[in-house]
Amino acid sequence: MTTSISPTASTGGAVLPPAPPVEAARRGFAEIIAPYAYIAPFFALFAVFGLIPLLFTFYVALFDWNPIGEQVFIGLDNFSRLFGDVRFWNAARNTVSIWLLSTVPQLLIALLLAHLLNHVRLRFAVFFRMTMLVPYITSVAATAIVFVQMFDRDYGLLNWLLGLVGVEPIDFTQSVMGSHVLIAVMVTWRWFGYTTLLYLASLQAVPRTIYEAAAVDGAGGVRQFLHISLPSLRPVIVFTIVTSTIGGLQIFTEALLVNRGAANTCGPVRQCQTLTLFLFEQGFIQFKFGYAAAVGVALFVMVVVLASLNYFLSTRIRPVKS
Amino acid sequence: MKTTRPRSGERVRWWTYVLLALAVFACLFPLYWMFIVATTDTATATNLPPEIVPGDNFFHLAGLVFSTVPFVRSIVNSLVVAGTIGVGQAVLCALAGFAFAKLRFRGRDALFLLVVLTMTVPTQLAIVPQYMIISSLGWVDTLQALIVPGLANAFGIFWMRQHISSAISDEILQAARIDGASTWQIFWRVAFPLVRPAAFVLGLLGFVTAWNDFLWPFVVLKSPEMYTVQIAIKALQNSFSIDLGLAMSGSFLATLPLLVLFVFVGRRMVSGIMNGAFKG
Amino acid sequence: MKSRNVSAVVCAAIAALSLAACSGSPSEAPSGESGGSSFEFWSFTGINQKQAVNEYQKQKPDVQVKLTEVGNAQETAQALTTALAGGKVPDLVLIQGDDLPKFVQQPQNFVDLRTMGADKVKGDYLDWVISQPTAKDGSIIGIPTDVGGMAIAYRADLFKEAGLPTDREEVGKLWPTWDAFIEVGEKYKAATGKAFIDNAGGSIYSQVVNQGQEKYYDPQGNLVYERSPQVRTAFDLALKAVDAGITAKQSSFTEGWSAAMKRGDFAVAAAPVWFLGQIRDNAPDTKGKWDIATIPGGSGNWGGSFLAIPKGAKNPQAAWDYIATTQSPQGQLAHFAEARSLPATPSVYQDPKLTSAKDEFFSGAPIGKIYTDSLLGLKPFLIGPDSTTIGTEFTNAITNVEQGKGDPAKAWDAAVTNIKTAIGG
Repeated sequence: MTTSISPTASTGGAVLPPAPPVEAARRGFAEIIAPYAYIAPFFALFAVFGLIPLLFTFYVALFDWNPIGEQVFIGLDNFSRLFGDVRFWNAARNTVSIWLLSTVPQLLIALLLAHLLNHVRLRFAVFFRMTMLVPYITSVAATAIVFVQMFDRDYGLLNWLLGLVGVEPIDFTQSVMGSHVLIAVMVTWRWFGYTTLLYLASLQAVPRTIYEAAAVDGAGGVRQFLHISLPSLRPVIVFTIVTSTIGGLQIFTEALLVNRGAANTCGPVRQCQTLTLFLFEQGFIQFKFGYAAAVGVALFVMVVVLASLNYFLSTRIRPVKS
Repeated sequence: MKTTRPRSGERVRWWTYVLLALAVFACLFPLYWMFIVATTDTATATNLPPEIVPGDNFFHLAGLVFSTVPFVRSIVNSLVVAGTIGVGQAVLCALAGFAFAKLRFRGRDALFLLVVLTMTVPTQLAIVPQYMIISSLGWVDTLQALIVPGLANAFGIFWMRQHISSAISDEILQAARIDGASTWQIFWRVAFPLVRPAAFVLGLLGFVTAWNDFLWPFVVLKSPEMYTVQIAIKALQNSFSIDLGLAMSGSFLATLPLLVLFVFVGRRMVSGIMNGAFKG
Repeated sequence: MKSRNVSAVVCAAIAALSLAACSGSPSEAPSGESGGSSFEFWSFTGINQKQAVNEYQKQKPDVQVKLTEVGNAQETAQALTTALAGGKVPDLVLIQGDDLPKFVQQPQNFVDLRTMGADKVKGDYLDWVISQPTAKDGSIIGIPTDVGGMAIAYRADLFKEAGLPTDREEVGKLWPTWDAFIEVGEKYKAATGKAFIDNAGGSIYSQVVNQGQEKYYDPQGNLVYERSPQVRTAFDLALKAVDAGITAKQSSFTEGWSAAMKRGDFAVAAAPVWFLGQIRDNAPDTKGKWDIATIPGGSGNWGGSFLAIPKGAKNPQAAWDYIATTQSPQGQLAHFAEARSLPATPSVYQDPKLTSAKDEFFSGAPIGKIYTDSLLGLKPFLIGPDSTTIGTEFTNAITNVEQGKGDPAKAWDAAVTNIKTAIGG
């Protein structure tokens, strides 16, 4: 009575390994509801702390909602104001810029490092892997304090080093691009080891024999990488692109801690204010919950659109067959 | 043409080690720098050329950290929150993952798709209503406000489902079924022990994420005794004298517990992350 | 298996800790007397309420005051807001002047202190100070705790190196006007090559703008920031200082600013009385090198906080008793002696404790006299609900130019545009 392992049609094309089912027992009501009971905690928690807040955000966005004052229904006014608000577009631009700067190099570095680590005869392999995970476990606030200090205009390490080669001090926290780079460096530093490990695992699943066969056929290192390594990495690359899209568009803590003088706006002219920080500022500093909720809705749409876009684009990447 | 022919038997090029060493340096240097400033003071930290040797001010600054914010309490708070979340996630995700992987029930695939979809919901943007829900429950400024919402982890379910699928054969479960075990017994006695390493790693990752969480505790916690370690560090910045040495000392002390933990379970974390990854 | 036992123990331990942490209220005060005379007090850091609370407890040992320093002033205001929106409110809260307007606009969130006795005492306070916590409907939601006054703190030793006089009277004569002040700055820079003042936004703009008849609102409460002459003057003066290159470009209360102060990278800063504590804490090694002179324009005020009782406080009476005792003229005078905070009660300004107060860190400057004098010339102007936002946008525009990122010619218009966006027209 063994069931065969075969992909079921209902996975809908998503990257899911096939799951051979065990037939729910015929006896007892408890047995029938058991599966639902097992997944219920997650759905209950998600409903209360994930879904309802999200739906409520949509609702609050239709109001002028002062948390200690009155709540007035104003329909879509928040949105029309938002789309004309220069600060919103500024935050959107900052968010996308920081996201790109922190994602693209990170994934490329991780690819390279995974490739390097994927050597059978590599010494200290475990040491390398472990140290690359250290940034991931470092406290976010601590990271921000250290990096902001290292990038300081007057007293920072980096500018001192640049000064040694004759470069003028760069004011990272005050300039638009500089602050984006600073935040991107922090985010990249935190995540690149984790991403490397994910890629490495995928690479290691590829049997050596395939590479050997390709070498015998005359394929050099680059072709082997493009035609063997990369395709096998595709699912995990897709995964990391989608997760870093979702995460990268919501960067908050680093942006909050970068500019001590004007923390809530990340600089006197909002140089690095991300959408989440703008949301926070409008909600908790300016007491405009409705407006903040509208920002939240806009952010939600942005994340869903960009993540889906990235998903479709990256699953379409196929190496050219030789 | 320089070939980087992977991998079997080939000697490792020297520049591989150079690049890897650079990566290691990049990973560890900021922590080292943090330690240096934590052991000297602001004046030294802003000296150029920079000091690269630790000083002797560590205990003085550390003492200041403890007296400025209730630091020990904040570590306990973080431990409680992160620990509960770690354990809770491991169990809940194993449960749900098991159900999705090994049980057949109506709507299973649709519900699983729903779980995957929930991963796309950005959480930060709903903090305002989340706060309102929490406050209507009377949970503002409590630890349960941090713990309970943190227990739901769609990614963890995904992870456990995958593990359980690949690590547990149907035969074992069938055998247990034939022996008369109920579904719960199958889960707790047969399946869970087999994937405990994976659950453990999931718990670890949940622990680390919860330990480093900043935005939500920042919004929800008010009294210094309830602070988690991340908020305590931020509070150091508010103290009357803006002292880099103090801030770095606090930062270092906040990272230390995780580093210690990492020494013990780091290898497991690494292999856990790698085992949970897609394999093509 | 061993790991199974270990994990079981760990789980149990965490569960136990959780129960202990979650069920216990975060209160260190002994659980007590029902209602009784204990109350919860939220203050912000850096203002040293601990001392005042300790003194009060000595006088009234049967009262338990649970003081929490929530964060900086803005974070405390945030916490208060979220508490009022639906959480646990404290019995007593300290609100900084900048954060007060938004709360005054919604007076229903606070106990009208007239019902507790504020009518009898409101005359004790400077009228332009007590008007701030008075809402449109006349209810008084806060009692002032202090004011800042205004002076210039300067490094006498650095002045000497630059060939400038060091005696505080003479220094005060150097700059009767702000233009003269900037000229002194240029002289200093030419002589030493270093910056003169810490920044243009906080130290120049924010001080000049307070010296006029009108600030951002007219007495009827209309927004006049665009046409108010003092505002424009202040803005242009700040830009002039930036153009002269005499600022150190360090925003106040940041790490860079603190480091610059320690190293003597700037020689003067606009200093209300509480600022002196900042200098003491950030640059303790410069003791004795500072002095205090009058500010150009002679008058000014920066700072000042208020004590309020939120609606829903469990023990408003105990909170009011605290206010009535500690914020009476004698109470504020006593606090001056301990913590150098300037009373908002003019009746004590001639008291010897104030007039004879000298500060050794600042070369024995008679701080009591200097600061109370600076309050005399102040003409009251209306502070409205968006005053803080408007001020921040102007300061931001100036900082932007100062950091080399903004065009001075366009700065005013940029600021006005930003203000309109921020406050909705």
